[in-house]
Formats: sequence, structure tokens, C-alpha cells
Amino acid sequence: MSAKQAKQSKLGQSLFTIFFMLAVTVVFISALSLIHVLTRERIQLNEGLVLKTAVLYAAGLAVPTDALEADRLYDRRVREVRDPQGVLRFYEILSPDGEAASYVVPVLGAGLWGEIESVVGIELDLGTLTGIEFVKQNETPGLGARITESWFKEQFRGKRFPLSVVPEREEAGGQEFQAITGATNTVNAVQDILNVRLAEAERVIRER
Amino acid sequence: MKSSYKYRQAFASGIGVNNPVFVQILGICSTLAVTNVLKNTVVMCAGLVFVTGLSNLTVSVLRQYIPGRVRMMVETLIIAAWVILVDIALRAYLPDISRQLGPYVGLIITNCIVMGRAEAFALSNPPGLSLVDGLASGIGYSYVLLAIAFARELLGSGSIWGFRVLGDWWVNWNLMVMAPGGFFMLALFIWVVKGSFLKEKQEAATGAGKPAQTAPAQTAPAAAGAQGGKS
Repeated sequence: MSAKQAKQSKLGQSLFTIFFMLAVTVVFISALSLIHVLTRERIQLNEGLVLKTAVLYAAGLAVPTDALEADRLYDRRVREVRDPQGVLRFYEILSPDGEAASYVVPVLGAGLWGEIESVVGIELDLGTLTGIEFVKQNETPGLGARITESWFKEQFRGKRFPLSVVPEREEAGGQEFQAITGATNTVNAVQDILNVRLAEAERVIRER
Repeated sequence: MKSSYKYRQAFASGIGVNNPVFVQILGICSTLAVTNVLKNTVVMCAGLVFVTGLSNLTVSVLRQYIPGRVRMMVETLIIAAWVILVDIALRAYLPDISRQLGPYVGLIITNCIVMGRAEAFALSNPPGLSLVDGLASGIGYSYVLLAIAFARELLGSGSIWGFRVLGDWWVNWNLMVMAPGGFFMLALFIWVVKGSFLKEKQEAATGAGKPAQTAPAQTAPAAAGAQGGKS
């Protein structure tokens, strides 16, 4: 009898263990899901705004610090050009009186650790850059991640592609940009991505 | 009286004699990974203090119900839940910092300090004390990381908090920004702290062992064993 009882209580313990684990999992996951649902809209808005301000910055426009104002400026001055399937091809930047003033193209490619996502502004001649902003990157902090520093991005304004690299803090010509010491792989990746993707973008915009 | 002493002791131990980084040598992976830029380090530390404190509290509240065989699964679940909460909060309310930290926030889950404190302390102590212990461990971890990050960013990038403080004459030590720099700074930190601040404790330990010196053949292996256990 006592052996049977022990067996039963052992079974009971195992069942309790399984039940406990399930219950704890359900409780925690429900709580997190609720929080996720409550904040989803806000997170999506934040992520959308990141891209919008990036486009404005790449186009060389002064980006308002206020989120709503930035949103309004984007609606006024940026037209998203999509292909028949609805996939975004590039952005057309309008002058204040509504005419095409320049373009911004999404430029993606492989960095050192992960994908580098950026938007690059080009003038109507399709050869001169108006600016660049990195939307997403996973490069080494302190080295490759310095591509998001202001001095690195600002130097692209007015440059013509195809681009090549000169060492950090050296004078760069009209088709050159300064590298980042210690981040050779990232900088080479940026150079290759820009040259290949901008040539493609040039074709896409001309075809339209 | 007695309980306030216990709280104070739990707090002081996490910061000093039982510091997770330079005494227990835990959480080294993130110490090496995030300390090359001060700004990332601060957010990482804030996240860790929050997660160790609250996961310790939660584990302690549930400690009488958690079956022994699945306790680690439950602990991981609790820690992961708090970390995901931090990640969501950052993405919703501090999107810029969230973007800069990228994968680091999620990596708090794998920080051995959080699991270590839940396992070693929260499972056998009341909630209030566990919360204090968790916070103290987090703070003990934080000030070590901040000191290392300060030195690494200064030497590696010539800047503090992203602002350039050393002039153009300064040549950046790229080594400091890369992982080996983290190893060197951490080793130096442990060396200095153990050499100058934790000395008294070691002397006290050898003093207590003095009567046993009559049998050196026996104490030597024991001491070696104790040291091996520590590392």
C-alpha cells in the first residue's frame, strides 16, 4: 500500500511540476503580450518616424526636432514612388512649389556584421549626393558604428559617385570620402554598397 | 535592528567583498562587449540593475512554490520576461537609445549575474532582502563597467560621452575599442582592487589560518583547493 501511495504522490509531484511550469509560462507570456499590444502602435510610429527623418536628412532639408512637425514636413515635401506591385522604389523630394527637386533612394547591402540600411539623396543630375543617413546597422561600436557620426555623414554632401576612400582626417576630393581608422571592412562595405546601388538607382529613376 | 543590519550587509556585499565582477568574475562577457562606449554602458547598467532587482524579487516571491527540478527553467522565464519588458520600454519611449544598443538589451538574459543571484540568493531568502541583493549586485556590476568604459572610451576614441576631450594631438588606441582592450582594462581593474582594497580581507583569512601552519603539508593543498574554487 505504502509503495503504491509513494508512487501516486510521485506522479502527483510530476503533474504538479508540469502544471506549474505551464501556468507560469502562460501568465508571463500573457502579461508580455498585453504590454506588447499596448505599445505596438507607439513603437511602429517611432520606427516609421526614424525612416521619415532619415529621408529628410538625406535630402539636405533641416529636420525639425519635434516629431509631429517632422511628420508634416515629410508629407509636404516627399512623394513615395512605388512600382505597380506597390513596392517602394525611391522618394521624390519636392521643392516648396511642388516640383521635383531631388531624389532619395534606399540603399541596402552587407556590412561587416549585418546588413547596413541607409537612404541616400541624389540631385536631379543623378550623380551628385545631397546626403546620407544610416537607418540600421550592426557594426562594431566605437569602430564601424562611427559611420553614424555626424562628420562621417556630412562629408558626403555634394560628392559625386563612383566614390573612393582616403584615410581619416586627410583632404578628400570631389569623388572621395574619408575612411574611419580601424574600421576598414565597414568603410569598404559602405563604399561598395554606395557605388553598386547608386548605379542601379540611377537606372531605375531614368527608366521611369 | 537586526533586519536592517541584514539589509545593509546584503547591499554592501554586492558592492564590495562579494562584487559580481571582480570577486565572483561573473558577467564578464558583457563587461568586455559594451564597455567601449560610455553611453551604451550606462543604459546596459541601468537595464541590468532593473532586471537583477526585479527578477530576484519575483523568484523570491515564488520560491516556495517552484518545484526543484524545474527551478532553472522558471528562473530563465522570469528573467527573460523582465528583459523583454525593458526592451519594449526602450523601443517605445527611448527609441534612439534602443537603436544604438541594438542586440545588447536582449543579451541581458544571458548575463550570468542575473541567473547567479536568483539561484544563489533569491531561492533561499525573503523578497525584500532579495530585491536589495539584486540591486546591489547590479550596482556593483555597474560601477566596475562604468570605470572601465570611461578609460576605454577616453583612450580608444579620445572622447567622453561622445564629446571629444583630448585634442587632435591624441592618437586613438584602437586596441582599447576592440575586445582585447576590454580584457586588459578588466585585468588591470581586478589587479588594482584586489591588490589594494581587498588586501585586508586576505590578511584576515591568512591570520585565521595561522594555527594550522604547524601542519603545512595539509594546509597547502587545502589553500590551493580554496583558490581553485574561487576562480
